[in-house]
Amino acid sequence: MEDNQKIQIKPIKTVVPDQAITYTILFLFGIFFIMFLVLPLISILQTSFFNEGQLTFQNYIAYFSKERIRRSLYHSLYIGTMTTVITTVAAFLVAYAITRTSVRGKTFYKAVSSLPLMAPSVVQALALISLFGRNGIITNMVGGQWNIYGPVGIIIAESFYCFPYALIILITTLSAVDARLNEAAESLGAGAFTVFWKITIPSARYGIFSAAALCFNLNVTDFGIPIVIGGDYNVLATEIYTQVEGMQRFDLGATISIILLIPAMLAFMLNNYFTKKNYSLISGQARPFLRLSTKSQKAIFSTVASVISGFIIIVFVIIIWTSIVDVWGGKSGESKQVFKWLTDFSIRHYDFEHRGASISVVWTSFWISVVVAFIASWLTLIAGFIVEKRKPKGAEPLYLLAVIPAAIPGLVLGLGYILAFVNMDWLYNGAAIIIINTIMHNFTLGMLSTMTTMKNIDSSIDEASTSLGANLTKSFWHIIFPLSKVSFWNNILFYFERSMVTISAVIFLVSPQINLASITVIELIDDGNFESACAMSTVIVAIVVTVHVIFLSIFKKKGIKIM
Amino acid sequence: MSKELILENITKEFGQIVAVQDINLEVKAGEFVCFLGPSGCGKTTTLRMIAGFEKPTKGLINFDGEIINDVTPQNRNFGIVFQSYALFPHMSVFENIGFGLKMRKVSKDQIAERVDDLLNLVGLADQKYKYPQALSGGQQQRVALVRSLATYPQILLLDEPLSALDAQIRLNLRAEIKRFQLELGITMIYVTHDQEEALAISDRVIVMNKGFIEQIDKPVEIYQKPKTQFVAGFVGKSIFFEGELSGNTVVNENTELNLVVSQDTLRALQTTSRSVTLAIRPEKILIFKDSQYSQDKYERTNLKKGVIESITFLGVIVRIVVKLADKHIMVDITERRFAQSLLKMGDAVSLYFPPEYFLVFQSSKEV
Repeated sequence: MEDNQKIQIKPIKTVVPDQAITYTILFLFGIFFIMFLVLPLISILQTSFFNEGQLTFQNYIAYFSKERIRRSLYHSLYIGTMTTVITTVAAFLVAYAITRTSVRGKTFYKAVSSLPLMAPSVVQALALISLFGRNGIITNMVGGQWNIYGPVGIIIAESFYCFPYALIILITTLSAVDARLNEAAESLGAGAFTVFWKITIPSARYGIFSAAALCFNLNVTDFGIPIVIGGDYNVLATEIYTQVEGMQRFDLGATISIILLIPAMLAFMLNNYFTKKNYSLISGQARPFLRLSTKSQKAIFSTVASVISGFIIIVFVIIIWTSIVDVWGGKSGESKQVFKWLTDFSIRHYDFEHRGASISVVWTSFWISVVVAFIASWLTLIAGFIVEKRKPKGAEPLYLLAVIPAAIPGLVLGLGYILAFVNMDWLYNGAAIIIINTIMHNFTLGMLSTMTTMKNIDSSIDEASTSLGANLTKSFWHIIFPLSKVSFWNNILFYFERSMVTISAVIFLVSPQINLASITVIELIDDGNFESACAMSTVIVAIVVTVHVIFLSIFKKKGIKIM
Repeated sequence: MSKELILENITKEFGQIVAVQDINLEVKAGEFVCFLGPSGCGKTTTLRMIAGFEKPTKGLINFDGEIINDVTPQNRNFGIVFQSYALFPHMSVFENIGFGLKMRKVSKDQIAERVDDLLNLVGLADQKYKYPQALSGGQQQRVALVRSLATYPQILLLDEPLSALDAQIRLNLRAEIKRFQLELGITMIYVTHDQEEALAISDRVIVMNKGFIEQIDKPVEIYQKPKTQFVAGFVGKSIFFEGELSGNTVVNENTELNLVVSQDTLRALQTTSRSVTLAIRPEKILIFKDSQYSQDKYERTNLKKGVIESITFLGVIVRIVVKLADKHIMVDITERRFAQSLLKMGDAVSLYFPPEYFLVFQSSKEV
C-alpha cells in the first residue's frame, strides 16, 4: 500500500478568522437586543418614574389612588387565577386521555386542540358573543337575561385561548413520566385512585406547575379578549390601552405596564423554573406505556375530550357562520325566529371597504408575516448556532437577553417602542417597526427550539468540519444548516402564525398607512361591525390554516417530523 | 512528510481549574504516541490544544520549527478521529470523505479518485453511496478514519476512537490503525483510558494524571519500571505496602508486615525520606500450601502466612485473594499452576514476596 500524495492540495486561506466572525455576530445581536429590547424597557421605566427629569412616584400614587384604575390589578389577578385553574384541569384531563388511556380519536383531539393557536385570541370572545351576547343564538333561543360582557366572559374565552399551550406541556410531561412507577405501585397493591393521586399527579407536578404558570402569563398579558368582552370590567392590559390611546396618558400607561410586568415576569420565571425541573425529572429512563383502559375509563375520558374538542369546533364554526349571516340576531322583530335569521345568508360583511376598513390589511399582514418568518428564523438559527456551538465569551448574557422577550407582555413592549422610537421617523413610520417588534416579541420560543436542535447536533460534528478545513460560514452552510432544517422550517411556520394573529404587541404600532388584519378585527368591533369582525377573523384563520396544511403536507412528503 | 511536534511548558486553565499543567513533550516524525490516563487527567485537553480547538494558557506548541499556537484548526491540517465518529449524517460516505478536499477546492475528478483509493484501503468500496446510519459502528469509524486521512494530514489525532465499539471490532480496528500508521508513516497521537490499548499500539506511552505527565516511556518500561506510584497502580495491578525504611527492610509498626527489599530496588529510590511505599505485581508473588516449600531458598522476612479468602477464575490466570494480617493480598497464578497446586478456599497458605520484584516509591498522601 502506497499513499504518495498524487493531488496537489492548496493550503486553506483564511480571509476572516472564525473568532472575528463569531464576535462580530455576537456584537450585532448585542446591539439588536439593546436597541429593541433594553431601550424600550428603559423608556417605560423612565416614563413611569421620571417627570421632567425628576424622580417621582406620582404616577404610582395616581394609579393606586384612583379606585377605578386600581381595580384593574385585582381584576387581572382574579381572571388570571380562575383561568389558570380551569385551563390546567381541563388540559390535564385531555392530556391524560391522549397519553394514558386507549380512547379513540387521539389525533383528532390533538388537531382540534391546536386550532386556537391559529387564530387571534379575540375569536374566542367573538364566538362567546355570537352565542351568549345580546343577539346571541342561545340568548335568543332561551330568552336569557344574562350579561356575557364581564369577568365570566373573559374567563371562559381566556380558558379556550390558553388551552393548547397547557395541553402541549402536559402531553409532553405525561407521555414522558415513567409509567413503570405505576406498575411498581400496582404490584405493591395500590388501587387505581391511589396510583393516580400518589404517583401520576406527583410525578407530573412540575409539568402541571409549568403549564399553570404559562397560562397565567398568557392570560394576564392578553389584550384582545378583555377589550372585546370585558365591558366595564377593566384589567391591566385594557387599562394600559385606555390610558395611552384614549387619554394620551403615556406616563400612566407606562406605570400600569410596570405593574403588569411584575406578575407576568414572575409567572414566566416560575414557568422556566418548573420546565427545567420537569425535564430533569422526565428525561432518562422513561418508557412509554399504554394499557387498555376499562370501559368506564374510556367513557369518561372520551366524553371529556370530545366535549372540549366540540366547544373548540363550535367556536370556529360560529365565527364563520356569523360572518355569512345577513344580520346576526335578525332584523328588528326577528330575533326570536332563530332559524330564520341563521339561514339568511349574505356575503356583505366581507365588503370591508364600506366599513371603514380595507381588505389590503390582509395582504399587509401576509407579507409582513412572511418577512418576519424568514428574518426571525434566520436570526434564531444563527444566534442558536453561535451561542450553543461556538460558545464565545458573552454567549451567556446573549442567551439571557434572548429569553427575556417571552416574559414581556406584548402591549408593554409595544408601548416601549412608541416611547423609545417616536422621534425616529425613519424607523417609526413604516412596516419596519412592526416587523422588528413581532420578531422580538416572539424571539424566545424560536431561539429555544433552535438551541434544542443545536444541542442534539454532536459538537464533534462541528469540530470535524472545522478540522477538515471548513471555516465558520462553510460549517454553517454545509453542516449546521442542513442538520437544522427541521427546526428551521418549524420556526418559519411558527413565526408566520404568530405574526398573523398577534394583536397586543402591535396595536400601538399600526397606523392608517400600515394596518394589520388582526388589529382591524378590533377596530371593526369598536365601530360596531361585529359580523365584519368575524369575517376578518375568518380570513385570518383561513390563511393560517391553509399555510399550516401546506407546510404539514410538505413536511410529510419530506419525512420531516413536526415539533 | 510528517514533521516533529514539540510541546513546551504547556498549561491550560479553565477559569480556576487547571486541566493541564506545564507539560513537555516531543513527538518525532512518524511516531505513534499514546496519551493514557483516567478521565479528567488532561489527555483530551492536550489533544484538543494540538488540534487547535483550545489555546494553551501558557507555553508553546511547535510544529516543524514553527510556533502554531495562533494557527487555526483549519490551517493546521491535522486529521482528527473522534470517539463518536462525527460523520456528517446528511452526507453519503463519498461526500463525507471528500469534504476536506472540497473545502480545499480540489477538482471533482481528483476527489473521486482519492475517495476511491481510500475506500479501497479500508475495504468499503461498495459502501460508497450509503449514508452513515446504514453502516455498522466499525464501518463508520473506518470511514471517519479515512476521511481524516483524505487531505494528507501532517499528524493524525485520535480521541478514544475505539471506545464506542464492541470488544472484537475494537481489536480488529486497533490492528488496522497500527497498520496504516506503519504503512503510511504518518505521526499518530492517540488518546485512550484503556491501558491495554495504549500498551499494545504505541511506540511510546505518556501516562497523565491530574494534568501532569507522570511518565513517558516505551510500553514495556511503563509496565516493568513505573516511575511513580500512580503509574504502578494505573497500568496493570499493583499491591502496595506502606512503611518506614530501616536498612533494607521496610517496617510497618501497625501491621507488623515487615518486608525486605533488594539493593537494586533501593538504589532507584531518589529520596531521603524514610516513609516509603512498596509496590509489587500480583503475578510476582509466590503462593504455597503451608508445607510445600523449602525455607532455605527464600528470604525469611518476606515469607508470610495467610488464609485464602477467594479464588476467581479469569481464564488464563486465576486470581487468589489471601488475607494477610489486615490486608487482602491479590495473587495471580497461571491456570496451569493453579490446577497443580490444589489450592482451595480457606486453605492456610504462605506467600513469598521476592525482594527483587519490589518497586519502591516515596510515600505520598494521595491514593
